[in-house]
Amino acid sequence: MALPVSFELKNAVVGIAGLGGLGSNVAAALVRLGVGKLILADFDVVEESNLNRQNYFADQIGMHKVDATLTNLRRINSQIQLQGHKIRLTAETIPEVFKDCQVIAECFDRADQKQMIVETVLSKIAGVVIVTVSGLAGYGRSNDIITQRISERLILVGDTVSGTGPGVPLTAPRVGIAACHQANAIAEILLNEKCQRKKTG
Amino acid sequence: MSAKLKINGQNKIFEGGLPETLGKLLDDLAINQATVVAEIDGCIIERKDFARTPLKEGQTIELIRFVGGG
Repeated sequence: MALPVSFELKNAVVGIAGLGGLGSNVAAALVRLGVGKLILADFDVVEESNLNRQNYFADQIGMHKVDATLTNLRRINSQIQLQGHKIRLTAETIPEVFKDCQVIAECFDRADQKQMIVETVLSKIAGVVIVTVSGLAGYGRSNDIITQRISERLILVGDTVSGTGPGVPLTAPRVGIAACHQANAIAEILLNEKCQRKKTG
Repeated sequence: MSAKLKINGQNKIFEGGLPETLGKLLDDLAINQATVVAEIDGCIIERKDFARTPLKEGQTIELIRFVGGG
């Protein structure tokens, strides 16, 4: 039995850039929340080393993350509208892939790639909000991970300092906390702000 | 002559005057330009324009520095 979902969520289109620890978990949270359509992009395949924090299963090793995510999300809700792109996102491809979205979740791993997509979305896609993450590596310090509204179209999640490095791994709990901050920020935007659908023609 | 900028919510006084450009400010702060997003008064400044974006007294600057992990 389907639970009642608000009009704003059912009609929302959200982009997820990268389907690793953040993206695979943000996607699942948004489907459970009742977001109507997700546009997903990643070029990578599932590896054994991903299973400690990413929302995949051992029998999906070797699959494209896009294909594995589509399968997993449809197992949660077969009615969800999904669009998958098996591509490497660049400053050239991002505006086209995500042109119909109201909000985009930045779910990349590398710092320079995070910079690239935030700059691209803010300068090339009018009216779209981006929810980005900086600082989620390691264990503990749950309450250091926060959500900050930097400006009208930019929301920043994380503790802003904990990058990955020797002895500072990415772990399921802390990555999961950041992913749920992202999903929760997206819910807040969709429900509290009248996100105008962009006119594409 | 001193001048003021608001950087990430904090007022910063420059006793010898402002750095000429956003790129110079980032260099002075030892910030890697490849991993920072900059907004001046709410407007995004693209990385390619950092070196030719002049700074003005009283501007509000947000510098979002990225670390790896996702």
